[in-house]
Amino acid sequence: MRNLLYFLLRYGSWFLFGLYVVLSGIMLFNTNPYQHYVYLTSASRVSSTVYGVANNVTSYFSLREINDDLQRRNAELEMQILTLREMISRRDEQLAGDTMMVDTVLSRYRFIIGRVINNSINRRHNYITIMKGTLDGVKPEMGVVDQNGVVGIVNVVGPHTCRVISLLNPNLRLSCKVQKSEHVGSLVWDGKDSRTARLEELPRHATFAKGDTIVTSGYSSVFPAGVPVGRVIGADTEADANFFALRIELFTDFSTLSMVRIIDDALGPELKAVETDPEEESNIY
Amino acid sequence: MARSTLQFIILTIIIVLAQVIVFNHVCLFDVAMPFVFIYVLLRLPMSLNVNWVLTAGFLLGLLIDMFSDTYGMNALAGTVLAQCRQYVLRLYLAPEEESSQQETSMHSLGTEVYAKYLLTMTLLYCCLIFVIEAFSFFNPVQLMLRIVASTLLSWSIMMGIDALISKQFGRTG
Repeated sequence: MRNLLYFLLRYGSWFLFGLYVVLSGIMLFNTNPYQHYVYLTSASRVSSTVYGVANNVTSYFSLREINDDLQRRNAELEMQILTLREMISRRDEQLAGDTMMVDTVLSRYRFIIGRVINNSINRRHNYITIMKGTLDGVKPEMGVVDQNGVVGIVNVVGPHTCRVISLLNPNLRLSCKVQKSEHVGSLVWDGKDSRTARLEELPRHATFAKGDTIVTSGYSSVFPAGVPVGRVIGADTEADANFFALRIELFTDFSTLSMVRIIDDALGPELKAVETDPEEESNIY
Repeated sequence: MARSTLQFIILTIIIVLAQVIVFNHVCLFDVAMPFVFIYVLLRLPMSLNVNWVLTAGFLLGLLIDMFSDTYGMNALAGTVLAQCRQYVLRLYLAPEEESSQQETSMHSLGTEVYAKYLLTMTLLYCCLIFVIEAFSFFNPVQLMLRIVASTLLSWSIMMGIDALISKQFGRTG
């Protein structure tokens, strides 16, 4: 008994060391990012308060670039409005007399505007913290875009803040397509450079040209189809001979993120319910 | 004693804030990242029980994890660093010197030993953190470059911090 006590006293620090290593190891190797506890992430009350205060100061620094981006985007949208208006007026003439309503389709998506209070681009697994939470209607697995293109997907939500898995995070795979040819691949960041990513798993017969726009495929309820992601800058090597990969220059400048839009898809829960088949396992033929 | 403890707590808060607000967002030439918060761990008094050093290392790492979404990475590296601290100190100090020392500072250890101690611990930490991070990607050249560059950057910043605050600590401690 005395020996045991002596042993515990003498090697107590090693037990404590082991305990802490196991604790942090459990956290570290919990690979599912949707299972993180909110109070241990940047969306927790303490860290979001600190980041909110710091962001109040630093948000003024990159206003010029953001303004330029907005102006450009504004001009693009104005052009689009003009063309759409023209199309609508032409169609109205065609459909004169037909009174079908199209509004219900358009109201499927709703935007929640949020301010970025923390963001990293230099790590292997990057995350973004946004000043919007459950009280504003944010839920996990909602898509996030900014004025240029796709930013990421919400994964942990607190009452006032949420954490987003950045596109610059290999845990995130985004289903994308080449806008011209409609060939679908999977976009993933390979940790090399914050301006580029890889579009993988493209079929071998897919055709592309440098400068082709890559947009979201719309195969999930997270992003609507056609949200701009980036443009092709060249072919990349793929390990598997049946597929090939493209190097994509991302439209979103992750180093100057400030205001983003979280996409709320009204059909999201319904789509999810339809797509998860409870008898999936027993129905293999 | 109470006054220097209070000073130490304030220093800890300032350094953790500096780490999460400023240094976490610094990345020179895409390779060098400063890890400055370990300074708190390195400056804990030598007479402090190992269990407390371990707890401090773990909690400090966890705090940084919370802010930088690294989830357990810094907590693990901080714990291992805290465990290694006594052995690194023993490496540079004669046994009789070790027992007579109270605090870990440039004043008590001498500039050369202190700088070596700081450099060894920083190198150890950078090795730990980048190896833990490299589980998902492996690129040995970039890994080496990151470790060396980050060690040098963190070490220089910590020596700078030391120069700024050593006067006050030397007087009270």
